[in-house]
Amino acid sequence: MSDLLCFATIALAGFAQASLQLSFGGLILLYHASMGQHRRKKTRRLTRAYVLGALIITMLAVSGIAFWISQFAGQALTLEATMICVGVFLATAAVMWLLYYRRGRNTELWLPRSFSRFINRRAKATNDQIEAFSLGTLSAFAEMPMSLAIFFVVANCILTTSAELQIVALLFYLLIVALPMLTLKFYVRNGNSVVTAQQWRVKHKLFTRFVSCASFITLSAFMLAFWVY
Amino acid sequence: MKKRISYEYSSEGVRQSILRHAKSLRMPDGWAEQIAQRVAKACDVWIEDKDIVTEDDLRIFICKELEGISPDLAYSYHNHDKII
Repeated sequence: MSDLLCFATIALAGFAQASLQLSFGGLILLYHASMGQHRRKKTRRLTRAYVLGALIITMLAVSGIAFWISQFAGQALTLEATMICVGVFLATAAVMWLLYYRRGRNTELWLPRSFSRFINRRAKATNDQIEAFSLGTLSAFAEMPMSLAIFFVVANCILTTSAELQIVALLFYLLIVALPMLTLKFYVRNGNSVVTAQQWRVKHKLFTRFVSCASFITLSAFMLAFWVY
Repeated sequence: MKKRISYEYSSEGVRQSILRHAKSLRMPDGWAEQIAQRVAKACDVWIEDKDIVTEDDLRIFICKELEGISPDLAYSYHNHDKII
């Protein structure tokens, strides 16, 4: 596989993961709770720690899976494993379209309510950077049922690129995953309120649902075209 | 059966919670304080002749009051727990 193809797959996978809403929603919650309680500087630090937490867990998961593939699956995923990933992406696309969001004028997700309340409570109680970091890691963990197959594909792509580009590929993936969160940070930093961002999410819920679903379908079509055939 | 928790109504609690939401909207401090006091006072009057109210009733009343003063704040107050 050429490096360009690997980077294209990583970009698509990153885009699909970036379209998941749990980490992003958690960041909005943290912003909302922290801006009401702390100074702006502290809010900035907390949100930075949150983003870092989410990214580090993602990085560790991808690196761990890459190690596992290289040790036990012989340098790259088998054709069958790649097909399973494609199947999971298609199933995830269906879930994104049909089940991911709850009905109503809100952006609530189909999470167990007790868990959602727990994240809400934690966001309000977050006072220092370690707590914010943990909240970030928790949100990345909670997203794993949707993102695990993506991790496998990305890890596989990273292993397939030439050795000197592997770190670059991982960083490239993390950058794409972090884009929505970084965009929100810049948006708020430019004097906008986080409530405006949330209102935008509610107003364009159907659009975000479509983008998430389309990105998973595109990823699976891309995988079928270039990795399976 | 879910255990119901009851607690004493606190005008200061209402004021503080509105202030927190106003701050997260980056409202000027003076304006935020004024809104919080006005709504807390309206709550005190509304609750005076009631023995018991649910948290939802109180929240709906506060949102109705805020709607006339600052729709953004009312939106924030009403939807803060509906983000994820």
